[in-house]
Amino acid sequence: MSSQDNDQLTDHEYDGIREYDNPLPNWWLMTFFGTVIFAFIYWLHYEVGGGPSLKAELNQAMLALQAHKQQAVVKELSEADLETMLKDPQMAAAGALAFTGKCAACHGPELQGGIGPNLTDAFWLHGKGTREDIMHTIQKGVPDKGMPPWESMLSQNEILSLTALIVSKQDTNPAGAKPPQGEKVR
Amino acid sequence: MNPQGTQTITFDDKIVRYFLLAMIFWAAAALSAGLLAALQLAYWPLNMNLEWITFGRLRPLHTNAAIFAFAGNAIFAGIYHSSQRLLKARMFNDILSKLHFWGWQAIILAAAITLPLGYSQAKEYAELEWPLDIAITVVWVIFAVNFFGTIARRRERHLYVALWFYIATIVTVAVLHIVNSIEIPVSLTQSYPVWVGIQDALIQWWYGHNAVAFFLTTPFLGLMYYYVPKAANRPVYSYRLSIIHFWALVFIYIWAGPHHLLYTSMPDWAQTVGMVFSIMLWAPSWGGMINGLLTLRGAWHLLRTEPVIKFFVAAITFYGMATFEGPLLSIKSVSALGHYTDWIVGHVHGGALGWNGMLSFGMAYFLVPQLWKTDRLSKKWMEWHFWLALLGVILYYVSMVSAGITQGLMWQALNPEGKLVYPDFVETVMRIVPLYWVRAFAGLLYLSGFVLMVVNIVRAIRHQPVQDGTIQVAATVSRSPNEDAGHRRLEGLATIFTVLTLIAVAVASMISIFPILNLKQYVSYEKTVEPWSPLELAGRDIYVKEGCYVCHSQQIRQLPFDVLRFGAASTIEESMWDRPFQWGSKRTGPDLARVGKKYPHLWHYRHMIDPRAVTEKSIMPAYPWLVAKDTDFIGLRKKLSVLKSLGTPYPDDTVANADIVAQKEAAVIARELEAQGAPQGLEKKEIVALIAYLQALGQKATPNAGERP
Ligand code: HEC
Ligand code: HEC
Repeated sequence: MSSQDNDQLTDHEYDGIREYDNPLPNWWLMTFFGTVIFAFIYWLHYEVGGGPSLKAELNQAMLALQAHKQQAVVKELSEADLETMLKDPQMAAAGALAFTGKCAACHGPELQGGIGPNLTDAFWLHGKGTREDIMHTIQKGVPDKGMPPWESMLSQNEILSLTALIVSKQDTNPAGAKPPQGEKVR
Repeated sequence: MNPQGTQTITFDDKIVRYFLLAMIFWAAAALSAGLLAALQLAYWPLNMNLEWITFGRLRPLHTNAAIFAFAGNAIFAGIYHSSQRLLKARMFNDILSKLHFWGWQAIILAAAITLPLGYSQAKEYAELEWPLDIAITVVWVIFAVNFFGTIARRRERHLYVALWFYIATIVTVAVLHIVNSIEIPVSLTQSYPVWVGIQDALIQWWYGHNAVAFFLTTPFLGLMYYYVPKAANRPVYSYRLSIIHFWALVFIYIWAGPHHLLYTSMPDWAQTVGMVFSIMLWAPSWGGMINGLLTLRGAWHLLRTEPVIKFFVAAITFYGMATFEGPLLSIKSVSALGHYTDWIVGHVHGGALGWNGMLSFGMAYFLVPQLWKTDRLSKKWMEWHFWLALLGVILYYVSMVSAGITQGLMWQALNPEGKLVYPDFVETVMRIVPLYWVRAFAGLLYLSGFVLMVVNIVRAIRHQPVQDGTIQVAATVSRSPNEDAGHRRLEGLATIFTVLTLIAVAVASMISIFPILNLKQYVSYEKTVEPWSPLELAGRDIYVKEGCYVCHSQQIRQLPFDVLRFGAASTIEESMWDRPFQWGSKRTGPDLARVGKKYPHLWHYRHMIDPRAVTEKSIMPAYPWLVAKDTDFIGLRKKLSVLKSLGTPYPDDTVANADIVAQKEAAVIARELEAQGAPQGLEKKEIVALIAYLQALGQKATPNAGERP
């Protein structure tokens, strides 16, 4: 009970409540002044001194990402590599896993179609059901028709595995298949 | 009977008892609604397919109940009790007190009915529709007259610091509420704000932030300044600190609203202002904490024996935490991580449960033995309440901050190819669902402690007589301010004090809002955007009604990972016709600003009826009633004409035939739906209007549209 005994009481009294006349704590004052100075400098930098706008910062960051992407070495797969990978049952199995999570909501768990078309029949809306055609549709999507583009979400490998799955499921005639859409190719 | 020249005043403590009991009653409602909402996020079936209590409608009910019913009644109880004593005067007018009390409860009751029915303006903490906005204004004015009338009749020359905070509260809340609620009615249950797009966003968050400042902070600081020194029987630590931190808070708080809008399409200068003023708020806020905690010097032993002191100390500590975290979250780079996540939810609950809740409970325990002749409050039960509440808040806070940071980091994560590591939004939701369970459990702990309080208080006051405080005062009191100087003099001049407070708040508001009132300065008419078509507008009103904004943002921030996930950053033009704006503040689900055309109609049809049908792990509620209910086509004429009068460029014949235009649009979508495999005959149903709106999101910009309208 030592320190506060030295404190000066003011002569105020309200319903029995008294008040000390203690000075403002120094560290508190310093914090306050510090934040005010920081605020001022920050404001000067961004609003007067020509600091970058949010838009400029975003553009910068997007360019950096772009450059980064180009640097990332994507192994160029040869045509033959691609074909072997496409036949690899492990690829199709990996594709099945991704398909359940990302595609089945629209194309049905057995690829039989639903919101999107049946992917097992001989009818194709886009291309002729070749590896390139399928990969292209998955990558770019058909945004106007409600097929999302996947290239920003899935890696090259995942897209290939999905393609492998679709190729492996051709002519499986799943139950409840959606009526054909598009051109008959086979 | 009285000694020569004195008189006895009996305080109106009946009204204090009323407010106190109302506070307890509504706290039960607010906490239960909160617990149910928490459980719904952990376990979606608890939405129970009942439209009235789906998460989108329940969350506004919970927040409004917590703020205006629980905290509101706590404030009123404390203000009516302490002001009479600090001013040595009975409340100005008993009838006004009663009107205030019953008026406020009636508003709360009306809110509890209208919010579940979906009558909402979809602006956070300002959801109530226009008739209730008017009622709130009237009741607030009644309160103000009653309060300032009491000040005028005071028998104390100076105003104690608690009263300064009450004055700031009453003045500022009035300004905030009125400006944010300027709206044009469409019907008894619906209105459109006059503010549009970025204006509406800026004004709403000026309001929203300062509702926290002047409804949940300043009045509670006032309560702290009265009840803490009273309960501890110690002098306040520093009178000078009171002065400085009071004025600093009043001057600085008002500017900080845009920290809710960092990286959005709000003009940069507003964001910079919001951020720097938030940072400057740190010390002034801590001034209150220092004065509260250091008042207890020499009384720390009470912490062991007095549960009331425990509640107060915990409350002040949580206040200190929250007011440090607030400035931190306002730093742009921290906001980039924390905004839209559960971190913010954790932050506000540290404040609401920790600061407001604990202080209110401490105050209630302090008041009960004064307002009733009773010594039957069980300290042991109070102890139990305290520890349950403390554990509850801490667990709540820790679980939500972990959830927020986890999800925030997942949203940002990029792989070496520069792609999102977690492109699937639900994956980031599933990761935090376990923490939603922890949060719900924390809420249960807090609620259990509260139940102990209810039982404890009911047992203590049942069959006990009430008692009203009295005091002896000199028949005449000199209130001449001439003997004082400086701030002390101001403390004797209540009117000038009030006017200065009003000026501080109003000037700051004007400066920070005024530039945005002229939208032309910000909207580039070359990139102008078409207004919502009649059917899309109908769908938008359904979106508003269902409270989709509580889980979905419509604002892609100027941040690379937001752009990668959701598309180009949102622009000012894209919300230039939005009344109310729907940027949202929380992404429990993905951003919807550019969801238009992402999916076929049928996807939305199935998704709205049962989200799990297309996204297996979704926690979004199901909205089956949208398929059963008919769209209000006829009402569209009035809606369009109101919007046109506010400046939306609808051609006259579109307004006159709004219902017919909308029905034609609906027929087209219904046909497309049918072709994709949906049932026939949906054209009249709400689902079609909602789909029309969702498919239009992000699709309205017409680059190079030319002419200024
Ligand atoms: C939101 C629903 C939706 C999702 C999810 C979806 N698709 Fe589609 N998909 C469609 C629609 C709709 C079409 C038809 C587009 C058209 O009409 O042109 C389509 C078409 C396709 C086609 C072309 C079919 C043809 O006949 O040419 C392929 C291949 C395809 N999707 C694969 C996938 C894969 C693989 C996935 C998962 C990564 C996927 N889709 C996810 C809706 C979807
Ligand atoms: C409890 C929070 C919650 C509420 C309330 C809610 N949603 Fe969702 N919403 C989600 C979640 C989580 C997802 C992601 C999983 C999914 O696709 O269902 C989602 C996804 C969506 C999507 C798909 C977005 C995309 O890009 O894939 C749309 C569209 C949508 N919601 C619309 C609505 C509408 C319209 C309402 C109001 C009627 C609403 N939501 C209410 C949580 C919610």
